[in-house]
Amino acid sequence: MTNRQRSNLVLGLLMLIGSMALLFIWIPLDVETGIIEKARRRTVIGDAFAPSIAGLFLLMGAIGLLLPERNVPDQPVILKKNLQFIASAIAIIGISLIVMRYLGPLAVGAYNQAHETTLEYRLLRDTFPWKYLGFLVGGTLLISGLIGLVYGRFSWKSLAIGIVAVLLMIAVYDLPFDDLLLPPNGDV
Amino acid sequence: MLEYFSLGFQAVFFGPEAFSVLGIAISITVVMVLCGFLLGIAVGATPGLAGPVAMAISLPILISVFGYHESALLPVMGFLIGIMKGATVGGAVPAILFNTPGTPDAFMTTLDGYPMAQRGQAKKALRVAHFSSASGDTFSDIVLIICAPFLAVLVESYLDLPEKTALLILSLSFIAAVIGGSASKGLLSIGLGLLAAYVGTGEDFYPRLSMGSEELAQGFPIAAAVLGVLIIGAVFQGLEEIWWAKQKGQAYQPVPDQGDQKLRWADIRRLSPYIGRSAVVGTGIGALPGIGSTLAATLGYALGKARYLKRKQPGDPEFGSGVMQGVASTEAANSSVSGANLIPVLSLGIPGNAAAVFLILAAESIGGFNPGPAVFRATENAINPEMVIAFGLFTAMLFANLLNWTIGGLFMRSMGVMVRVPKHYLLPCVLLLTLTAIYVQETRMEAVWFALAFGLLGYFMRLLKISPLPFVIAFILGGNLESTARQAYSATGGDAFFLFSSWTAAIFMALAVLVVLYSASSNRKQRDSAVENT
Repeated sequence: MTNRQRSNLVLGLLMLIGSMALLFIWIPLDVETGIIEKARRRTVIGDAFAPSIAGLFLLMGAIGLLLPERNVPDQPVILKKNLQFIASAIAIIGISLIVMRYLGPLAVGAYNQAHETTLEYRLLRDTFPWKYLGFLVGGTLLISGLIGLVYGRFSWKSLAIGIVAVLLMIAVYDLPFDDLLLPPNGDV
Repeated sequence: MLEYFSLGFQAVFFGPEAFSVLGIAISITVVMVLCGFLLGIAVGATPGLAGPVAMAISLPILISVFGYHESALLPVMGFLIGIMKGATVGGAVPAILFNTPGTPDAFMTTLDGYPMAQRGQAKKALRVAHFSSASGDTFSDIVLIICAPFLAVLVESYLDLPEKTALLILSLSFIAAVIGGSASKGLLSIGLGLLAAYVGTGEDFYPRLSMGSEELAQGFPIAAAVLGVLIIGAVFQGLEEIWWAKQKGQAYQPVPDQGDQKLRWADIRRLSPYIGRSAVVGTGIGALPGIGSTLAATLGYALGKARYLKRKQPGDPEFGSGVMQGVASTEAANSSVSGANLIPVLSLGIPGNAAAVFLILAAESIGGFNPGPAVFRATENAINPEMVIAFGLFTAMLFANLLNWTIGGLFMRSMGVMVRVPKHYLLPCVLLLTLTAIYVQETRMEAVWFALAFGLLGYFMRLLKISPLPFVIAFILGGNLESTARQAYSATGGDAFFLFSSWTAAIFMALAVLVVLYSASSNRKQRDSAVENT
């Protein structure tokens, strides 16, 4: 049996364990009411009913993969290269989002240190240039980083594309609307 | 019904005014359908983009512009309908000119369209594609307008709560069985979608399955789950394909026009039987939830090929080597799916494809319109506002068709330039646009992180050949399934076998099991014959 013919077996086993864990551990421990409940002298469906249906769908899928579809030809396979790519992409996106989230407040902190002021990002989050700082830098990092990942090298062109694209997004989502908040200004 | 048709027509054409031309007021819905249609063609003509991407990005902007009021429904949903129709037509442009399908269902169009373009018949191929697409789409819309209200009335008249619950389970089983080619993987996709829908919800004070986390206690935002699995997962996969192939974009080398580029009356007569068959096949497939336009295009093409081979004269070119009947068969079939896809949405509340998912998202976000059989409930001495909206949507679809027949062809033929937009620059921008669209709707970073997590799920699902569409449909229907089951259980006086309390419900449940078993056994037969052939 080659690697290529084993992915249904592995996925089926994982899903079998997952569905069992859902049905017999997660639902009993993390749902307050059962499948059927007595409430005000009436029998009603409890909160555990619907997730149990989800668990049954998962269980049926797992059994299907383990029995009739276990040895089907042309089974997909996840290669080390797939994991390498997605891990790199997620790392770039994660770093970009962290920069997006914290750059504005950090910049205000640095400004306060330099000018001995007591500004708060929360109060500045709807004012230029503070409200764009995190989105502009984080967004540019995300776009140019992913282009760089795909090409295997950094280029000034990708940086320029990132900046222009983020400025266009600001023009689309922020400039015409007073009630829309760009990330991360709704959180801080 | 006729009264509602008139009201729907008035709501579209005589609704709030956008501007006036020579003293004639142009309604905002008309303008939005036009804008959506043109955007849809541009998006469909751009490889790497598709209608759902444009819908995802524009939805928060539209809601911000029009607000959460019933008057926003027709302009917003009209825009989305415009995108849906435009993207279907636009997908043929890169397929014919560059052998690169703009949308997955335009793949079959490349088989004859691209060879036609290589022979200097690009404009003729585009004209054939446009004519066939517009014909199929119009046919499908007419079937929708006739069927959806009657199907909804039938459902309302004959199906009670237990039957509706069983029908929802049957729909989910059907979707699991037919999408993607593996019933087991379809069931997994459905199970994961339902599970995601039930996290942080429920009727008890404690939000179920939240593991004590405040973030999970609010549940997964619908935009994060749907856009994550559908759009972000697809972006990851698209980026990885470029990463592997290190494609630098296809250089465009125009082939000079040769021969007659116009679509003559004689051509139309020759193409009509192919278009007619494909339109019927596409509409039939579109009316069933979840099957989608790719299968319609494949079946339409196969039927067209069979007819062509029967009538082929010696010396005629082979089907697949650049014959206009091939382009017509495919385009008529995939375009006729879009209108019919709204039959299960409007009559049953069950989305059949990604575009329908976004229409439901829009309706849920704005409020005042709940797609399902109740939409067509006639009320005595009072107007049902939901039915007016439904007929307004039909009018918007017909108006989009009119646009397709009039300006669609010209605009479509001018969109060849869109294929030069490099995919490796476009996809990261689409990713950030999607994350931004999610944030402006939810205004919390957790939603963005959730979307990324769902994007990862969508990516791995695609790697493992698990279709993400059943996940999305189950996520949307999950709440409805639970509430209908709760009501049915109460209505039957706490009968544990409420799903078998009537013949209709029992038949639906039996069909739900049979459709999965049948799909599994037919997959097994295909597998066995594949093994025998090797």
